[in-house]
Amino acid sequence: MELLIFYGLGLLALFAAAAMIMVRQPVTSALLLILNMFCLSGLYAMLGAHLIAILQLLVYAGAIMVLVLFVIMLLNLREKKGIVSKHQIALQTAGVAVFGVFMAVIAARLHTSQLPNPKAVTASFGTVGAVGRVLFTDYILPFEIASILLLAAIVGAVILAKSKV
Amino acid sequence: MGNVIMADLARIPELLPSIIEMVAKVVFIFTMNMGVFAPLLGWVERKQSALMQDRIGANRADILGITAFGLLHTLTDAIKLLTKEDFIPRGADKPLHYLAPFIAVVPALIAFAVIPFGGQYVLWGHKTNLVIADLDVGILFVFAVASISTYGSVIAGWASNNNWSLLGGIRVGAQMLSYEVAMGLTLVGVFMVYGSLRMTDIGVAQENFFHWGIFLQPLGFILFITCALAENKRTPFDIPEAEAELVAGYFTEYSGLKFAMFWMAEFLEMVTISGVLVALFFGGWQIPFVTHEGLVKFFGFLGSNFAQVAVMVVHVTVFWVKVLGWIFLLMLIRWTLPRFRYDQVMELGWKIILPLALVNIFITGAVMLMVM
Amino acid sequence: MSGTYRKVDRNVTLTLWERLYLPEVIRGVTITTRHFFVNFLSVTKAYFGGKPSDRKIMTIYYPDEKPVLPEAYRGKPVLVLGSDGRGKCVACGLCEVACPPKCISIVGGMREDGTRRPVTYKLNGAVCIFCGLCEEACPEEAIVMSDRYEGLSEYDRKLMVYDKEALLVPEEKLGKRLDYIRRRMFGKWNY
Ligand code: SF4
Ligand code: SF4
Repeated sequence: MELLIFYGLGLLALFAAAAMIMVRQPVTSALLLILNMFCLSGLYAMLGAHLIAILQLLVYAGAIMVLVLFVIMLLNLREKKGIVSKHQIALQTAGVAVFGVFMAVIAARLHTSQLPNPKAVTASFGTVGAVGRVLFTDYILPFEIASILLLAAIVGAVILAKSKV
Repeated sequence: MGNVIMADLARIPELLPSIIEMVAKVVFIFTMNMGVFAPLLGWVERKQSALMQDRIGANRADILGITAFGLLHTLTDAIKLLTKEDFIPRGADKPLHYLAPFIAVVPALIAFAVIPFGGQYVLWGHKTNLVIADLDVGILFVFAVASISTYGSVIAGWASNNNWSLLGGIRVGAQMLSYEVAMGLTLVGVFMVYGSLRMTDIGVAQENFFHWGIFLQPLGFILFITCALAENKRTPFDIPEAEAELVAGYFTEYSGLKFAMFWMAEFLEMVTISGVLVALFFGGWQIPFVTHEGLVKFFGFLGSNFAQVAVMVVHVTVFWVKVLGWIFLLMLIRWTLPRFRYDQVMELGWKIILPLALVNIFITGAVMLMVM
Repeated sequence: MSGTYRKVDRNVTLTLWERLYLPEVIRGVTITTRHFFVNFLSVTKAYFGGKPSDRKIMTIYYPDEKPVLPEAYRGKPVLVLGSDGRGKCVACGLCEVACPPKCISIVGGMREDGTRRPVTYKLNGAVCIFCGLCEEACPEEAIVMSDRYEGLSEYDRKLMVYDKEALLVPEEKLGKRLDYIRRRMFGKWNY
């Protein structure tokens, strides 16, 4: 049963990701990305990481993608018809090539190296309490650094957006 | 994979009570929402607003002279909406135009899954927990789902190929985004006090009347209800549909059943908000000054199983009565206050509610440190 | 025109209490709640045969119940038919001149006894703006505004041109309006 759900979600996620790149309409593309995030969140939930799953929905699908959609709608992007310059084709090819090399390396590593044995998760794994405890004890320094980084970003955004401070 | 499924199937008999319980709960909530609230709230809204404004309200629809206090208008509304032409404007994005009402209505329905409408009872040896999904992340699920419902309105605004709709959609996006942030922060105080995100835990913790959320988190309550009203997009905060400015905002170009779905989504959201308010701030299914054990003892003469059933019925009734009370209050607010201006809404969200929510967190933390 | 004008002080500065917003919201909600419950009780009492309480619901069931209009209401203009069975109009044409959209047209004539009367009196109801100037201009109290507001629209414009027969209304039915125009402060009959 779980296997079925896993394959369903995984295939849907792959399909959404592929379609997102292929579709021409920017809004549809954004919606497909949201669908992809949904599937990802489902996969997290199946791994027992409920908090991550919900945060994926709440933050990425719920907030950030609304912002993206917002910008697309405001700019009202239309399909552009035109010739792709040689320059661009070269860039795209280079991009695909680099990505392919990366994937090949990862695949090779996966094949040769021994994967760690999967461990059964404890009952409290992925709950809010467990994640919070780890976050505020073992990883308190990275957590605080990340928060300061975000604060700096917020202040920067305010200064950029405001003509007069 | 075949034998995996077979193994799952083989476990069905032992899981049967849980499955029955699950189906019963889902069916109950679904009928409550779609069968009772969605159609009836239209009537409640009409009659209540009428009486508030010294009017009588819709009462002309009748069958053989029976008007049933205007209740039949619900029926005529349904007939009208079903038979109306489903209009799609030229140049609209057809698939998205179809999709938007569904995105709006489905989250409104599933958000109720984590709201407990009763406590835990042992019925014939089977432990029953009256909540569809007792998630550890609890209330965060409601937030996540609410943020998804934003897409319904935003896409509706975009797909209609109409400037009013687009403006409405953009306003929905901005308003929802602003108030989601604030709403999340307003409830942090509640989580701190009860030490859990799980809605059933919060419900159990409110067995003592003076531990109800409204007493422990008065500021959080006021901030939360403001945010909830804004998320609901009804009158003081209905800038996305502002009739005077934007015709009907994001659903200007909707008619027939698709319009009805937006309408329903609004009402269901109201039910959900009332449910959350009751579960977090008003003791959920608990009756003031009456403990679970006390109630069980009171019904003791029925025998242990039926006593549990009786307690369950009482608790569920209490919960829905509280929800109804809140719906009444939300409607009162909706028909009393005038609409805010767009900039006022944004200012209220970012400059007043957000800082106050942060202050609330600090105060709660300080008080908790002092008390403990 | 001198350029002086008085600045209106609208007193928009709110006190701190008002700016807190919440107390004022609660005040507003209290008012609407009171209205709701008073009306609710009154309606329920009336439903069970009791006497409704003081606050009346404003609504009337229009086609079944008709509102009582004040005499100052300006409905369809009508010609007054005297108690002697004669129209009061003497075809002086003042109303014709006074009518802003020029919807009245009169052809005057004589009766056998030498009094004047309109031979034809046409009032185009599709053009009339219900201003009441004809009533004001008339020296004979012969044309007054009635309280009739129903059935004034037709699907054909020709049907909306009223002739003398369609306009004549017996004096008794217009008593209230006639009293009203007589006691009007600046009415010409007061001089
Ligand atoms: S009411 Fe005014 S518009 Fe109508 S007939 Fe009299 S003067 Fe003319
Ligand atoms: S002003 Fe009076 S009397 Fe003269 S024509 Fe008109 S209705 Fe007749």
